[in-house]
Amino acid sequence: MTNPHKREMWILGLFLTAMVSVFAALTWRVVDLKHAQREAYEKSSRRQKTALVPEKPRRGQILDCKGRVLAASIEAYNVFVEPRRLREYPDQIQVAAASLQDILGTPGPEICRMIDESRNPGYVKIKPGISPDERALVKEINLPAVGIETDWNRSYPANNLTGHIVGFVGADNTGLSGLELQYNTYLQGTPGQHVFVVDALRRPIAVQAGAGKDAEDGLNLVLTIDSVIQRFVHEALKKKMDEYEAESAVAIVMDPWTGAVLAMVSLPDFDPTKFSKTPQDRMRNRALTDPFEPGSIFKPIVAAIALDAGMIGYEEKFDCENGFWSKYGGIGEFGNHQYKMLSVREIILHSSNIGMAKIGLKMGQKKLYDGLKMFGFSSPTGVDLPGEEPGLVWSLPKWSKYSVTRIPFGHEVMVTPMQICRAYSILANGGYVIKPHIVRAVVNNQGEIIEDRQPTAGMGYIIKTEVANWMVRKAMTDVVNEGTGDQAKMENVQVWGKTGTANIAVNGHYDWKNYVASFVGGAPAEKPEVVVLVSIRKPNRSLGKGYSGGRVAAPVVHDILENTLRYLGAMEGETMPEPQVAATAQSVSTGI
Amino acid sequence: MSIKEPTIRYDRIIETVVLLLMATGTVFVFSAGATVNGDYDLSQFYNMTTLKQLIFFPLAVLVMYGVSAIDYRRFSVTQRPPGYSPTPYLSVIALLLLVAVLIWGVERNYSKRWLDLAPGSVYISFQPSELAKWVMILFLAAYLERYSSTIGQFGTRFVPVCLIAGFVVGLIVIEDFGTAAFIAMITFIMLLLGGAKLWHLFSPLPVVLPAFAWAILSSPTRINRIKSFLDPSGMQYQARQSLIAISTGGMLGKGLGRGVIKYGHLPEDTTDFIFSIIAEEMGIAACVFVILLFIIFAIAGVMVVFRCRDRFGRLVAAGIVMAITIQAAVNIGVVTVVLPTKGIPLPFISAGGTSMLLTAAAVGILLNIARHGSEPAFNLKNTIPVITNISQDNHESH
Repeated sequence: MTNPHKREMWILGLFLTAMVSVFAALTWRVVDLKHAQREAYEKSSRRQKTALVPEKPRRGQILDCKGRVLAASIEAYNVFVEPRRLREYPDQIQVAAASLQDILGTPGPEICRMIDESRNPGYVKIKPGISPDERALVKEINLPAVGIETDWNRSYPANNLTGHIVGFVGADNTGLSGLELQYNTYLQGTPGQHVFVVDALRRPIAVQAGAGKDAEDGLNLVLTIDSVIQRFVHEALKKKMDEYEAESAVAIVMDPWTGAVLAMVSLPDFDPTKFSKTPQDRMRNRALTDPFEPGSIFKPIVAAIALDAGMIGYEEKFDCENGFWSKYGGIGEFGNHQYKMLSVREIILHSSNIGMAKIGLKMGQKKLYDGLKMFGFSSPTGVDLPGEEPGLVWSLPKWSKYSVTRIPFGHEVMVTPMQICRAYSILANGGYVIKPHIVRAVVNNQGEIIEDRQPTAGMGYIIKTEVANWMVRKAMTDVVNEGTGDQAKMENVQVWGKTGTANIAVNGHYDWKNYVASFVGGAPAEKPEVVVLVSIRKPNRSLGKGYSGGRVAAPVVHDILENTLRYLGAMEGETMPEPQVAATAQSVSTGI
Repeated sequence: MSIKEPTIRYDRIIETVVLLLMATGTVFVFSAGATVNGDYDLSQFYNMTTLKQLIFFPLAVLVMYGVSAIDYRRFSVTQRPPGYSPTPYLSVIALLLLVAVLIWGVERNYSKRWLDLAPGSVYISFQPSELAKWVMILFLAAYLERYSSTIGQFGTRFVPVCLIAGFVVGLIVIEDFGTAAFIAMITFIMLLLGGAKLWHLFSPLPVVLPAFAWAILSSPTRINRIKSFLDPSGMQYQARQSLIAISTGGMLGKGLGRGVIKYGHLPEDTTDFIFSIIAEEMGIAACVFVILLFIIFAIAGVMVVFRCRDRFGRLVAAGIVMAITIQAAVNIGVVTVVLPTKGIPLPFISAGGTSMLLTAAAVGILLNIARHGSEPAFNLKNTIPVITNISQDNHESH
């Protein structure tokens, strides 16, 4: 018999050596795993153990000059799934689809299709804007890879009222039209991203420190628009447009001293909350996109250019050829009036085409062309809204020999309502250039002004103050008091303005049935508070109620002025209230 | 033989090492058991691994000290009057349970290894193969002591013990390949220690090797495990997750409780894969600490064997030390993907009631051997008052 004790010692010694070596090898293995292979495993595990949760910024609000909300973003909840997590287990897509079908009412096959066809393996939105009940149920079933995210829904409480101005955003909260498009970079904010450590069901456990960043909310816009004035204008214009069965209508109310647009209405209009169901035609902001031949409302501008250039005198008389001038292709008067010798004031007052043609001839092509360029015709006004058209003034070499007689009474040029409004504001403020604008300031959520968007005033006079004042206080005041604009007259405030009844050219020929009835003016004449443009396209002449600017547009301007001046506190006699600029600035600081 | 007071108290060393390992285990099982929901619903108490573990820790300590107070010689057949040794009874019970689990067992993770003893909210789930492992050591020690002089006889001594061991392994291999292979290995080493002839030991190999090969090939799960082990690109999910956990831990880890892999990313994170969690949360430092404790345990255990004066004690102690150390090595090997995945827990650390309490009991026996093994074997007055005149010399006469 062998010595058992010695044998045991051998075996156990061997065993011990073996085990110590094995443990040493295992230790080396652990160290090796941690050092040599750490990078590789860390990388491959990151995606599995962390989830990137994007935080959508809140889009900035759009407010009118008194802080009334025109556009705002409201929190909403979306259901989404992470397709690559569902694909890890068989049938998981079907299970998720079946559960979501019961809760959301979306057909299961439809959900499967959405998941299968998703190009993003990490995210597919199943249903946006779920109800609180649905949200609770989805949370309760607690399916892997199914989540709820916060989103922002854009809301437009003013609906149709400011649809053309504010515009709308698409499904991804990017501006597609109006201010939403123009100021998208200000409004959109910066998206944030949070990195969460998640469990196997991708439920967040903790935020990974230092790895994410918060979303920055978008900046807010404070407009020059006053939604009260906007409503006056909208109501008055809509009423008249319906009454005359007109095709479309445009109205602008502008502060002539700053170029601030207080109201801008284009009919037909649309509701930005239902933009997807709106025909393209209704979405056009005609005040900017539809140039037209202005007709008689162009006359005071040309006359002012001539007077300013010193080519004609205030008392100079022009022979108006007794109603028909056979030269230059033949020029007649509106309504077949017959005038003999008229001064500039009388030409404006009676709206004589022949008189204006003679002023044009006297001034010559060059002076006329330069003057129109100075007033900014044929180039966009630069108002901060997208889609503005420049209109058209032919360059001098393209002028026919008749052009110099036609342009002075508003033919052979195409202008936008905004351009006319700016030209009249220049006349109203004594002759200096203003820049039409609609955003007063960009402010952050703390109410601090980030950017003052009001253009610097006094960019230079383009006509003499004396000429501008005469044109407003004398010539165009008389139009209202004695001439075609009598329907715009008010009892205790002196209104001034000019009517226009322009023919609409169809295929190069003037159609004697279709007109644009316009009235541009302002009040009070001494120091105009506002300039108002109303232009109604194709009022139905067969209704027998008239179709001229004096009949159709002037009463609308009267209504707008009456309401607006009372609202602005400018109705007590001729005394001026606080300047509009100060009032706007105040509302900015209290706007949010 | 003279009584010599040991200069080093190996029982103290083993005690300390085991308590440290158990404490570490409790802390990390608690950490790994963290869930996002975190509802501590009392009705679910017995289903919650972490809270269960908190109960099992003191219970295991109690069992360890309780068993260590029992003289290990009571388990010997030779040193007890016929019928007094619990070892034969335990062997029969273990066998019956192994058969029972095949009939009434509860299937978990695709294998039928558990017996639910008291169905209901307060059930104790029990793994008979765990019991069989320890009883096998006692049985072999008793057998080898009883027939220490005649074990060299092939037909009458060696073949019977091989048949018994083969039957036990055969019962277990049906549902638990890892434990079966483990028991076969322990049996082999213990027979070697017990004086069996080498050519005897290698004679069953022509039968055993094909049997194991068949056991592997007959189960698609096992083939898959081995295939995925051999092909690193198609690495199994669990193994891959384990490596991620270990490799991202760094020198000192992510901090206790700060690991992320435990949030559902690593299955069996509180049991078989607890070492990954330790590596992730406390880094290399804790891994080395745990491995070092096992090495100390092995050395101290072997020293206990050397010190022990009677054959039974030496065999039992050697069996227990080897069982625990090999399990630890295999478990860490699996977790670090050096070995293919198999369901072997990390002793003292992994959550799991049966395994922990039985291991504690085994350590209890080892502690008793450490304390009393160096005493003369005839010191049986204390344990068997009836028979006082038995000496080591006439063992064989029983």
